[in-house]
Amino acid sequence: MNRKVPLAVCFIFGVVMFIQYFSQHPTARFVYKSILDYWQIIFAFTLILGIISFVNNNISQIKRGNNTFYRIVAISGFLIMPVVALGWGIKTGSPFMWMFENVQAPMQSTVFALLAFFVASASYRGFRARSIPATILLLSALIILLSRSNIGGIFSDYLPNIADWIRNYPSMSARRAILIGIGLGSLTTSLRVIIGIERTWLGKD
Amino acid sequence: MYSNIVIVDAIVNTGWFDITTLSTLIVSIISIAIVLYTTYHRKSRDKFKIREIAGLKAVENAIGRATEMARPVLYTPGWGGDIQRSTTIASMNILSYVAEQTAAYGCQLVYPTHDPVIMTVAQEVIKESYTHSGYPDRFRAEDVTYVSSSQFGYAAAVDGMITRLKPASIFLLGTFEAESLILAETGNSINAIQIAGTDSTIQLAFFIVACDYTLIGEELFAASGYLSGDKSILASVRAQDIMKVLIAVFLLSAVIWETVATISGISGGSWWMF
Amino acid sequence: MKHLKSRHWIFLGLFLVIGITMILNVKLNVRVSPYTQKMFDYIDSLPPGSILLISFDHEASSLPEIRPLALAVLRHAFKKDLRLIGVSLLSEGTVIGYRLMQKTAKEYHKVYGKDYVYLGFRPQYVAAILSMGESLKETYPQDYLGNKYDQLNLLKSVKNYNNIDAVISIADGSLTTHWIEYGHGRYGVKILGAVTAAMVTTYDPYLASGQMYAMTGGLRGAAEYEELLKISGGGARGMLAQSSAHLYVIFLIIVGNLSYFITKRKGRK
Repeated sequence: MNRKVPLAVCFIFGVVMFIQYFSQHPTARFVYKSILDYWQIIFAFTLILGIISFVNNNISQIKRGNNTFYRIVAISGFLIMPVVALGWGIKTGSPFMWMFENVQAPMQSTVFALLAFFVASASYRGFRARSIPATILLLSALIILLSRSNIGGIFSDYLPNIADWIRNYPSMSARRAILIGIGLGSLTTSLRVIIGIERTWLGKD
Repeated sequence: MYSNIVIVDAIVNTGWFDITTLSTLIVSIISIAIVLYTTYHRKSRDKFKIREIAGLKAVENAIGRATEMARPVLYTPGWGGDIQRSTTIASMNILSYVAEQTAAYGCQLVYPTHDPVIMTVAQEVIKESYTHSGYPDRFRAEDVTYVSSSQFGYAAAVDGMITRLKPASIFLLGTFEAESLILAETGNSINAIQIAGTDSTIQLAFFIVACDYTLIGEELFAASGYLSGDKSILASVRAQDIMKVLIAVFLLSAVIWETVATISGISGGSWWMF
Repeated sequence: MKHLKSRHWIFLGLFLVIGITMILNVKLNVRVSPYTQKMFDYIDSLPPGSILLISFDHEASSLPEIRPLALAVLRHAFKKDLRLIGVSLLSEGTVIGYRLMQKTAKEYHKVYGKDYVYLGFRPQYVAAILSMGESLKETYPQDYLGNKYDQLNLLKSVKNYNNIDAVISIADGSLTTHWIEYGHGRYGVKILGAVTAAMVTTYDPYLASGQMYAMTGGLRGAAEYEELLKISGGGARGMLAQSSAHLYVIFLIIVGNLSYFITKRKGRK
């Protein structure tokens, strides 16, 4: 019973969503629109779940003395932003906007910028001409890198064209093949879930 | 025959069926039929075998390593997906297997995520797996945590966990975006053994460079059948192969037709672009 | 100094390369790619009064890269007297999108409600995209500022995607894929993308198949767009730093390979 009800609900909604795609009838549109509305409402409620878990987890870790400093910073950030937003609003010039622009945005940009540093270290380590395929990959990477920087044109006018060719033919066909595989994988996984063969999302049997 | 036409006509005219979606309907029915046939036709499904997937074979070694080093295992599904995404569901299947192993070895399993629903489902999956392994008391709910919905908030939190906890093994399986290399390189810097897999073609390139094993696209979807050995799940992998062959035949026919049509100047040669 | 590993030296080198080139005020010549040209030509060809839906599908983290790109596209649209509807599928992008629209609208003396509106954020992006395809009014009964949908002049003639010429997704992740799969796939709306450089290759297959109509990407895309608009902006300024970082990575790859071959040779001996 514990599992049968969610499996039945999953099957019914899966089939309804599949069938409605092929219909423009007002009833089908109404059912579809209602499901979309509920989908958004349910999603908004799940955020509460996240907040409760976040606060609970951090407080219990503080009590245990586990990374207390980091936990306090996390809880402070979590409390300060909504309090400031509720107190002074979120208009231009408000303390919330000041903190968003001068604290949150630069911190997030910094983490994003780490990507450039990691690309550099990964390239140094990963791009080695160990074999013929690895050498081809290496040369392709060099051509693309040169062409994506504006200096590429200095070496040869053909370089950007060669880079476009690599992007549009060998690289694109490989990616398309992977995409087709992923698409089919998604389709069969979804069907397995709708039919009820795939049940891991409900926990183990 | 006439009455059939009248019924079809009535369905189309009243708007119950949108005729513009006919081609999608046909392709969908063929795909569903193939999946159902391969799943429920016992004779053919029992013969089917799946090739070895190196990344999945390494799962047990990775957990064994963590146990020997007395360090935790970190598993995260990436920032890009939500629970309805098939990659997340596929990742849950692998998580279930990993959790069974960590329970049996008595190894700590840490699972940070960006989505509250994924967190709840993961808690349930891990708890059930621990019970299934016979060690329900080893399950710690606080190890499955929601960290942040923000992409780089999540990346920073998981990076922090990696540098502080120093897990011996890291599983990056799910939907990843720009955070992929940040996490994989941080894992690499602490010499963790890393098994990754995603459906994003661009992030796959990053994972291949920075991780020890990478599940490429559909290998992730085949994982649950591979790990559990469940015949009906493995059968859907066979369905994928059949559909792939059909797509290849279709593409080839379209290319030949279009080439011949262009050379000989036949008009209306694009029937395949339905 | 002793505890620094090769990784740390690489990081330090990159920091210096970018830091130094950011200080230099050198403008590189920009060759406009066919990708950006197509996007520019499409927006340029739209008659005044056409409606574009701009979706700010990014977070604050990618602002240094996204901002020049978004500004260039918005300036072009306002310059051509197009009408814009702004939305956001990520909560963090909401306020950023509003401010970018406000800033560019001011530059071109555009009036809120008549020339542009900002509807704001809706949670669950897939549901939001599908829902807008059914009814924009039911998805957004009021705008970001709290005005009722029917009170806004621009929106009076807009029911769903059928009344919109194209959607431009300004994104730092894979949200544009959802616009392609659900917005274009289900409702047939034209999708254009202004995305970060890391995401450009992800969208190549969709661009080639026509599921995505046009795309421009990264600082380079912004620089190309600025070149076409004949304005100076953040794209052109950032190109020197980006180009020098590319050269630095090439240098690292060469050094990495040299050390690999030297070690291999020593091993043989």
